[in-house]
This record gives sequence, structure tokens and C-alpha cells, in this order.
Amino acid sequence: MRTQALTKMLSMVFMAAFCLFAFQGQAIAADKIGWVGPVYKELAESLTKGFKQYYEKTHGKEVEVTFIHPGGWPVCLDKVRTWGDKPDADIFLGAGAPAHEVLKKEGRIVPYKPKGWDMVPLDSHGMKVKDAKGYWTCFAPWIVTNLYNEKVLKKLRLPPPKTWQDLLNPIYRGNIITTLPYASGTMHETVEIILQAFGEEEGWAYLRTLAAQFARFSTGSTDTTHIVSRGEVPIGLAQPQMNAMVARRDGYPVRDLLPDKTILVPEAVALLKGAPNEAVGKIFLDWLFSMEGQKYVLEGGYFAARTDIQFSVWEKEGVAMATHAKKALGVDSFWDLKVKFIEYDLDLAAKRWDDVNKHYEYEIYRKWGKLKDSLFLIEEVEEEIQAAKAANVETAKAEEKIKEARTLFQKEGNYAAARLAAAKARALLVGP
Amino acid sequence: MTRGGNVLALVLWSIIVFFVIYPLSILIFESFKIVETGSLGLQNYLGFFQDGYYLKTFGNTLFLSTLVLLTSTLFGIPLAYILARYRQYGKTIFTALILLPIVLPAYAGIFAFIIFFGKYGTVNLLLMDFGIIETPINFIYGIHGLVFIQALHMLPFIVLSLSAGFTNIDPAFEEAAEVEGASGFRRFITVTLPLCTPSYLAGAVIVFLWPFTDWLTPLILGQVDYLPSVAYINIAYHFTDMHRKYMGIVAVVISSIVCIALFLVARWWVERKKYTGLSKGTTSEGRVIEPGLLIKSGSYLYMIFIAALVLLIPIVLGLSAFSRRWVFEAFPTHWTLENFRVILLETPMLIKNSFVFSTIALVFGVLFGLPAAYIIVRTRVPGKNALDFVITLMLAFPGMAVGVSYLLAFWEGIPLATHWIIMPLALFARRLPYFLRMAHSSYLQLDVSLEEASEVSGVGKLRTFLSISLPLLLKGVLVGVVMFFIMAFQEISTAIFLYRGGWETLPIGIFLNWHRGMEFGIAAAMAFLMIVITFILLLIIARIGGGILKAAWGPGGS
Repeated sequence: MRTQALTKMLSMVFMAAFCLFAFQGQAIAADKIGWVGPVYKELAESLTKGFKQYYEKTHGKEVEVTFIHPGGWPVCLDKVRTWGDKPDADIFLGAGAPAHEVLKKEGRIVPYKPKGWDMVPLDSHGMKVKDAKGYWTCFAPWIVTNLYNEKVLKKLRLPPPKTWQDLLNPIYRGNIITTLPYASGTMHETVEIILQAFGEEEGWAYLRTLAAQFARFSTGSTDTTHIVSRGEVPIGLAQPQMNAMVARRDGYPVRDLLPDKTILVPEAVALLKGAPNEAVGKIFLDWLFSMEGQKYVLEGGYFAARTDIQFSVWEKEGVAMATHAKKALGVDSFWDLKVKFIEYDLDLAAKRWDDVNKHYEYEIYRKWGKLKDSLFLIEEVEEEIQAAKAANVETAKAEEKIKEARTLFQKEGNYAAARLAAAKARALLVGP
Repeated sequence: MTRGGNVLALVLWSIIVFFVIYPLSILIFESFKIVETGSLGLQNYLGFFQDGYYLKTFGNTLFLSTLVLLTSTLFGIPLAYILARYRQYGKTIFTALILLPIVLPAYAGIFAFIIFFGKYGTVNLLLMDFGIIETPINFIYGIHGLVFIQALHMLPFIVLSLSAGFTNIDPAFEEAAEVEGASGFRRFITVTLPLCTPSYLAGAVIVFLWPFTDWLTPLILGQVDYLPSVAYINIAYHFTDMHRKYMGIVAVVISSIVCIALFLVARWWVERKKYTGLSKGTTSEGRVIEPGLLIKSGSYLYMIFIAALVLLIPIVLGLSAFSRRWVFEAFPTHWTLENFRVILLETPMLIKNSFVFSTIALVFGVLFGLPAAYIIVRTRVPGKNALDFVITLMLAFPGMAVGVSYLLAFWEGIPLATHWIIMPLALFARRLPYFLRMAHSSYLQLDVSLEEASEVSGVGKLRTFLSISLPLLLKGVLVGVVMFFIMAFQEISTAIFLYRGGWETLPIGIFLNWHRGMEFGIAAAMAFLMIVITFILLLIIARIGGGILKAAWGPGGS
């Protein structure tokens, strides 16, 4: 009796396991589309929802959407590179112009001008918003901003930093967080902004000094938003403008900071070369640039790109995000924004894409401890020189040496030599 | 008889070769590959140790391991002593609470502590509200936080091994020291502790290895310069930078080598150094003391302190799971079921995947584990010790090594990784020893004469197994089944490298919702759900028989 029960039980277990196999393996005869890209989860979910409804309505069929999100822009770009001629997705969804320029240059995307393509401007404030041949098109423009937690800054009695130079103020030391340019396209663009606005040499000097202000590095731009929203660190650098809007909508006390030098980022979309579901991909692109598709972009927490959009009209139509967008931007359409942008050399940015990411990581991030030690010593000696001056001690030689230390630190990034020079300056101060 | 055994052993060996030895050897093979030429050589390893950055991460990890071990030992010694020696009420419940982190996923703890000890977490807010501090204290971001979180997670292993040591010491030794005039503390240092060393070491090595395995805690705390975290970033974030990828693979191999080597050394040492007394112990539970009032209340306070820290994890996650946006408030104020609605109704796929993958892995585990235990305990098939050895080694292998090696081995050539079946297979390989050990120890307790009697009566081998052995083994096997399921259910280190869109499990969902999204309420709700499921499973184990669990306890971790 007992044996029978047991055998029965065992066979049931096997049956169950077998059923699970069958259940999982069963492919639904639906059309398919695959996206790869760095867009945030909320946008992907909104677009999935909208596109599925649309597809069912117009094609009478279900569409199965897979979204591959391995990380920030560079990570996604890298993922597409590994696929070679056989991409595992159809659409590159998200990332700004330089990433798409790299994709275009490497021949990984093909041109397609979706319906409604004309409603997106060719350029704005000197920034390319779409490719003239239709390789890539912006569907959600934004501006590179920084982010701060107003509650925490108030608690710390600190004013919000207005300019890039403000961030170097010692009062912000340990209160700033950002990520690495390879982990986040926004950080990559921020580094490019600094390099192009300040000039290459000055730019790296600035970035080195700025790094000493950081509390630590986060692992991505959303991680930064999260940390700032929770108040763990009050200021976050390199944030897409809409992050503040979405966080505010969710009730976090954060605000965006438009720095003095910034750019517009055309978050764009492109059709991958050799896409396995090219036809569905094109349907998706047509939909994305339709008024309906653009509404789902806004509901996903991104600003919509068509020029004929007015938030106030959408507000009346019941698009919940339109109210938040209007409040966040202060204008009725993204393109009405009056912001001064820097002159941005897209070709240069695309050309040195990998190099910039690497240089930042190797010269600043990996040497972060040494960098801080070196700068803090220089600052100490500088203060000592000031004190000595006040006490009427001869400081000319020490001053010259400490200037040399600064140069070694900022221009060359030679942290050890800079420390040595600072130590020598100190010795000159005490010595005969 | 031997022929059947041999065939069975052959089948088991081929499974081991295909799912363990083959992928791991591909991992090692890849680590010797030179990017530029495609030939083999030591360049990657030389490059790794010549690069100041990677060398630093190696040093950091060693340093962290040492600190974690020291901290958990320091806190573990009194705890183990109290639990093993003092007679007091509530011992069972305290033991259960203190051992809880073994079955809690490590990542659950991190999130709970960020919410509780973060800069604007509960503790800091309360301190600021009462005017005790002006600006928040940094409790967790830094090496101190890492040490705290990892040491608490690993504390059970120290407590388990030490209290086993304290219990097993023949009371005669300590009494002799007492007679000779050694004071309480001196006796403890010179007699009791040294006698515990072998059993302590068994736990200590597992604790020491944890920082070589745990990539997630440093990552979430923004302290990534540790071997496993760097390996994760190098492999998961970079696809075309080959130098970086190979440095990542080397980091994984080095972590694995450290883990395996230390594990083996500790095993060897423990075997060699087992202290033996001349007389048999007088009591089975060792020496039990009735402490004085002061010591007794002190020990209660201490146990409550540790238990409270452990309990914080489920409590904080629970509060967070049922609330919305718990930030800048010492305690949540807005209660909602929204988080659970999202998990259960909008994305039920994660839960389904978790159950499906773990169940399939479990079926594999049972189908493999039962015959393997049989071969190891009951037969004299050549190579059975080697089989046991290989499977036990999997205990020390970092989960990341399994994940990465599967990715390397089953992508081209044998493209298993393009099918979802890779997920349960990897879980199966990773948690291989858990079920086997349970089955193994229950087999040891089963008297062979019962099976022989059945065979003598003319019943075949398989029927003997089904009608005699299995029912008798059932208790142990069931505990093994549940233990395996718990461990597979919360596994993230292998899965994170292998999952593709649509294959996400609950642990991956927790990671993604916290780390890449702002949805910490949902992440907390998922973690809370996992803890509840684990709890229910643990209750089942306790009903079936906790004794068996203790006999075959294996190290946990994610």
C-alpha cells in the first residue's frame, strides 16, 4: 500500500515538473519586437502598455515586447556591438546623439523616417535633434542638469550650487555624488560638456578638482537619483532633466539645477541593422512619433518631442504627466524653453567616445584616493602659507612651489609629484 | 550489484562533468587566454597583479575579510558561550533568531539597514529630532558599514561552530583547570578556547570567504573596489573592452582559488587537529552553568541586542513593504497595499519564474542527489570519494564563478544559455551540495540490514529503494528538499549573469527595482515576500525535524 502511495507521489512530482517544462516552452503565436537601450523602466513599461494596446487594436494580434536593459548608454552600445550582424533586438531605444552617431558610423543602424518624422525639428540651439537621413530620430528631448535635495540642503544650511564653479566650494565637500561616464550616458555628456566648455586641459583640471568634492561614486544615473531623493547625499550630478520631475511627482523633495553650461540631449531611437522583426519595428516607430505614442512617452516620465504638442491641451485631455511637465519646465512645450546651451561638437564627441570614458575612469576614478590625498595636502600647505604671510614670514619660494604643485595636480594629474611639490613647499616654509 | 552501481556512478559523473567540471574548466581556460593573439599564457594574471588598481582591490578584499572575521568572532564568542553554557529561558527562540541570517538573503539585510541606518534613516532622524546630533551620522557608507552588515550576516556560522565546540568539550578538562586554581577568565582563554579551535575554524573559514563572494553589498553601499564587485562590473557592464573582461574573469578565478584553497586547508587542519580526550564526556549537552544574576541579566541584554539587530531586517522590510515612500520619516505614515498589488498582479512573472526555476532545479537536485548519496554511502564504486569531494567543493565556490562560467561555456558551441533552462540548471549546479548532504546524512543513519532483508526476500534493488529506503529516508530527504528550495529561491549571484528579458526572478527583481529604479517599496515588498515564504518553509522544516538540519548543516549565502 505504502509503496503504491509513494510511487504515485513520485510520478506526480515528475508530472508536475514535466508540465512546467511544457508550460514554459509553449510559444504563443504572437508577433514579436525587441528593444535594447538605456531608457528608464517607467518609460519602457509605459511604451509597452501603449504599443500592445495599439497593436492589438490595429493589427488584431498580440505583440510580445522584450526589453533588454543592460545598463547606461555605453553599456547598451557595447551590447549591440557584441551581437555583430545578428542583433537580439530590433530597436535601439534611448541614448543621446553621440551614441547613435557611433552606431551609425559602425554601420549598426539603418535609416527609417517614421510617420510624424517632420514634426521633430532637425536641430535646436545648435544641437542635432535628428539625423538628416533618418538614421536616428529624437523622441524625447531633455537637458543635462544636476539634482539636489532641498530638504537636506536646508538642513545643512547650504545654498543650492548654481554654476559648475560653485560646486568646487569647500562647503559642498562630501555632499556631492555622481557616477562614472561608462555607467551613464548623462555622465558621459557631462564630461563632454566640461571638456568642450572649458577646453580640454582646463576641463580635465576642473574634473580632477571636482572629484575631490564627491562623497563617493554611484553605480548609475538612477542610482544617483535614488541616493539624492533619499537624502543620503544631497547633490547629484549628471541627471536627465526629467528625473527631478518624476521624483517630485512621487513626492521626493528634489529639484533640478540648470547649470551655467549645459546641452540638450536628443534621446533618440533607431532601427537596428538586420533586425529580426523589422516590419513590427517600423510599426512601432510610426506609433512612437504619433500623438498617441508621444503621450505614452510623457506618461513614462520623459518629455515628448513633437513640436505640435502643448502640455495645456494634453492636460485637458487627461494626460496626468502633462501637469507635472508644465510645472517642471515652466513652459507649454519643451521647445519653448529658453536655455543657453554651449556649442557642442557632436563629431568630436562621437570620435573620442571610448577614450573619454576610459580616461575618466583610469585617471580620476581609479586614483580617487591618491587624488584626494594630493589635493588635500596642497590645500593644507596653501592655508599654512596664508598663515605664514599673516605672521610676516617670507613665503615667496613656498608660494612658487605650491603653485607648481597645483599645476602638477590639475594639468598633468600627476598626484604623487604634486604631493612631493607640496611637501617641498611646506619644507620651504619652515626651513631657513 | 556492482555493475548497476557502476552504471549509476557513470551517469552521475557525466552530469558532474557536463554541468560542473566543463564550465569551470572553460572559465579557467578563458582566464589564460591572451586577448591579442588568442593563445594561452600567464599574461592576464601578471597584468592583474601588476595593475595597481586590481592589486588594491585584492588587498582591500583580504583586509575586509580579516575585519569581518574579527568582528564576527568578537561578537560571536560571548554569544556562543551564553547559548552553549548558560541555563536560561527562551534559549530556543534566541538561538532561532540569531541563526536567522543564514536563511535570509544577504541583499534583504542591506536594504533594511539603509532604510534604518541611512543618513536620513530612522536612527539619524530620531537622534536629530531629540536634538542629540545636528547633522546625520554616516553609519553605513564606508568600510565600517560593510563590516557591520557582512559580519552580522555571517555571525550565525561563528556562533554555530563555537557553540558546537563549547558543547563538545569534555567538562573534565575545565574542571581540572579549575582545581588547579585557574580563574574563570584564565580558564576560558587557556583551556576552553583552544579546545574549540578546530570547530571554530570550520565556521571561520566560511566567514572569511564571504567578502570574496559577496559582490552586491559593496556595490549597493558605493564601495566597489573589492574583488567580486569589480569582477561583476567588469563582466556585466563591459562587452567589447576585452582587457577589462579578462581582468574580470581573472578576478573571478582568483576569488574562487582563494575560497577553494582556504576551504581545503581548513578541512585538512580540522581533521588533523581534532582534540581527543581520554574519557568520554559525561553529559550529552556538555557543561551547563547556572550563572549569577548579574551575568544572567547581562547575557540576556546581549542576546536581545543581537536578536534585535537580526529582527530589524524583516521588521523594517515589512514596514517598508506596506507603506509608500518611507523617507524623511522615522516611521512610515502612509500605509498601502499598492506594492503587493504591483508584484502580484502587474508583474506576477517574477514570482512565477522564481517558483518554476527553483522547482525544476529542485527536481534535478533530487534526481541527482538521491542516487549520489546512495553511491557514496552504500556502494564501493571506485571514485565515489572523489564524487563526494567534488560536490562538497561546490559549497566553497562563489556563485559568481558558476554564473560566469555558465555564460562562457554555454553561449557558443553548446548554446544552452539562449534557453531559459539555463536558469534552473545553474541553480542546480550552484546548490548541488545542499540536498545531497541531507540525503547523505539520512542514509548514514539508515541501517543497511533493513535493505538487505528486503533484497534477501527477493525484491529488486529499485523496489527495495522505493519501498524500504525512501520511506525511511523521507524525513531527511524532505528537509533537504525544503533547504534546497530555500537556497535556490534566493540565489542571485549566478542568475544575475544569465538572466535575459523575461527570465527575471524575485531576487533579480529586488536588485533591479532598488538599484536601477526608484521603487524601493516594491523591492522591499519583494524581499518581504521572500522572507515570508522562507519562514513558512522553515516552519515546515521545524515540523519535520530540526535535528536532521543541524546534523547536515551547510553554509549559506547568496
